Amino acid sequence: MKAAPFAYARPAALSDAVAELVNADGGGKVIAGGQSLVPVLAMRLARPTTLVDINAVTGLDALRAVGDRLEVGATVRQRRVEHALESAQVPLLRLALPWVGHRELRSRGTVCGSLAHADPAAELPAVACCLDAELRLAGPDGERTVRAREFYAGAMTTALRPEDVLVAVSFPVAGPREGFGFAEIARRHGDFALAGVAAHVRADDAGDVSAATMTAFGVSDRPVTRDVTGLVRATGGDRSELVGALDDVVRELVDTDGDAHASNGYRRRLLRALAAREVAKAHRRAVRGTAEVGA
Amino acid sequence: MTSIEEPVQKGLRPVRAEADDTVEVRFTVNGTPVVLDLPARVTLADALRDHLGLTGTHVGCEHGVCGMCTVLVDGEAARACLLFACQLDGAEVVTVEGLGRPDDLHPLQESFGRNHALQCGFCTPGFLLSAYDLLNNEPEVTDEELPAELSGVICRCTGYRNILTAVSETRAAYPEGIPEPGNCARRTLVGRSGGRSATVAEEHAEPSDEPARTVEIVLPEGEPTIAVQVDTALDVPFDEVWRVLADVHVLAGCLPGAELTEELGEQLYAGRAQVAVGPIKLSFHGIARVLEQDRETGTIRVLAEGQDTGGARTQADITLRASATAAGTDLRADAAVYLTGRIAQFGRALAGDISRRMFEQFAESVRQVATTGEAPQQSHAAPSAFRMVVATLVDRIKRIGRRRGGE
Repeated sequence: MKAAPFAYARPAALSDAVAELVNADGGGKVIAGGQSLVPVLAMRLARPTTLVDINAVTGLDALRAVGDRLEVGATVRQRRVEHALESAQVPLLRLALPWVGHRELRSRGTVCGSLAHADPAAELPAVACCLDAELRLAGPDGERTVRAREFYAGAMTTALRPEDVLVAVSFPVAGPREGFGFAEIARRHGDFALAGVAAHVRADDAGDVSAATMTAFGVSDRPVTRDVTGLVRATGGDRSELVGALDDVVRELVDTDGDAHASNGYRRRLLRALAAREVAKAHRRAVRGTAEVGA
Repeated sequence: MTSIEEPVQKGLRPVRAEADDTVEVRFTVNGTPVVLDLPARVTLADALRDHLGLTGTHVGCEHGVCGMCTVLVDGEAARACLLFACQLDGAEVVTVEGLGRPDDLHPLQESFGRNHALQCGFCTPGFLLSAYDLLNNEPEVTDEELPAELSGVICRCTGYRNILTAVSETRAAYPEGIPEPGNCARRTLVGRSGGRSATVAEEHAEPSDEPARTVEIVLPEGEPTIAVQVDTALDVPFDEVWRVLADVHVLAGCLPGAELTEELGEQLYAGRAQVAVGPIKLSFHGIARVLEQDRETGTIRVLAEGQDTGGARTQADITLRASATAAGTDLRADAAVYLTGRIAQFGRALAGDISRRMFEQFAESVRQVATTGEAPQQSHAAPSAFRMVVATLVDRIKRIGRRRGGE
């Protein structure tokens, strides 16, 4: 299957990229890695009149710490983030990246591209929502910042307007008393998740839980985030107790009907088990007092 | 773990192209700089296969699921069907053709063969390059992680066990990191769909519609596709034979199907040659340069380059040596032949046999001309495909018979 013809622009300045999108009058589409977009073009589900390649735009390939946040530019590849020293400060991102597609896709795919594509079953939007990341958008009226939890409006629908470019995302750097968990169930490693969860727990100096958040994905038309601080406190972060305690939250979060791959009930059971396990893990790491990656 | 510090691409130039325009893209494939003019929507997989003749990169699902088209882009595995070729300006691409040579395979290829890790072979190029990326960039990967790490390529024959064993064995054999791709050198690349050569002859040379006329003959650095060596004993005195070899016009007349059309000076000649094998008819236009013509040693050395309208291309380094013997003259031909385009898709052995047969016909023509002093008959007609193929087959059958008889 081949993409339909399109005009191709590869500007060197961000303002030119935005101008191309404005000129395309709604028919423009930004491409960075293209790992989600090209299949859609190949199947001709999308037929943009102009493809604006932002890979030559200067400054978009920066991966750097800005204060207590890690900023990832629009053309930074997922594999670069996976291995870069800087990204160790955002453990949840490191935990989630190996789940994103396959190595062959992460070598070209970008973090911002995945966020902008907004597939409901994608991993990185859930990470951004769980960490309350900030997305920097550039449009004809200049730049503006949108919080990830307000960015998603539905399946493949975001706060991006047709003439906007997502230029960077910034994640908060983890402190010593923060713990994270991430897992998903897919039919094959690298496929989109039937159900997945990202978890974040923060403890105070005394080791008491001060905040706990979980974000579910693959179970609704967008990543959904819930504050579970009370539940984690009540269960002491014990995994088997969490399974029961999370039941109501999970019931509410899974709002897709069943499909060919999994029924609604199966997705709930998956999410409940995953959420209990990952929240418990995040709790253990937070209380232990070292923000670390890995089990 | 290798950290990827540098931004992936540095060579990107700003571009603007309408939907019916083409985009110029310059990148390196298996060590060869190429320049292509393509519609923006052409994928890297199609550019490699159709425009550069590198059909080792297979195309399966064309939307990034199956992994057949996996190649290395700047050292990392990537799906060639999920990249538009125009996005690769300045990039370095390695395909399975660049991984190893037929006579000197890459250790991964050796291991795949040894472990029966290739059944129908369709997924093999994808698996090889995915595995190369893994072992090169993440050599500390464990056997337990291999199934997940290699899950980006799908094998229809479900030969996963053997594929995992092959990769695991290679990893164990090279704990310090696996060898680099072993067949990356400058060579001529020609698309299957015909047209001009895509290779950059010189660093900044623009591609031309008739590169054969305007550029020097530069032989590729890689191994020749075929090396031919033919010895013929002629019952004609050396002087008579040398008279034929010394006159380029007569010499060309002895080549089956060849014709000299123009003298360009400085021992450079333009000409054409026709070869017909079964349904395949190739009509080459090209140039030849005489590098050496020495009566003392009876040696003549010629570099030749020809391009077929259908996109086949051949280059050859030919040395003829005549030496006097008691019975007449021994004529020895040594040729290194480089084939690209559809002609290269012939079986290597058959192409070699046919080249050898052509030299034998050539030697026979030399004998005729040297004896009679007249131009060889049928010199301007294509050599008979039927006779050539039959002779080749008979020759093979004889050889098989000999081998059997010898055992």
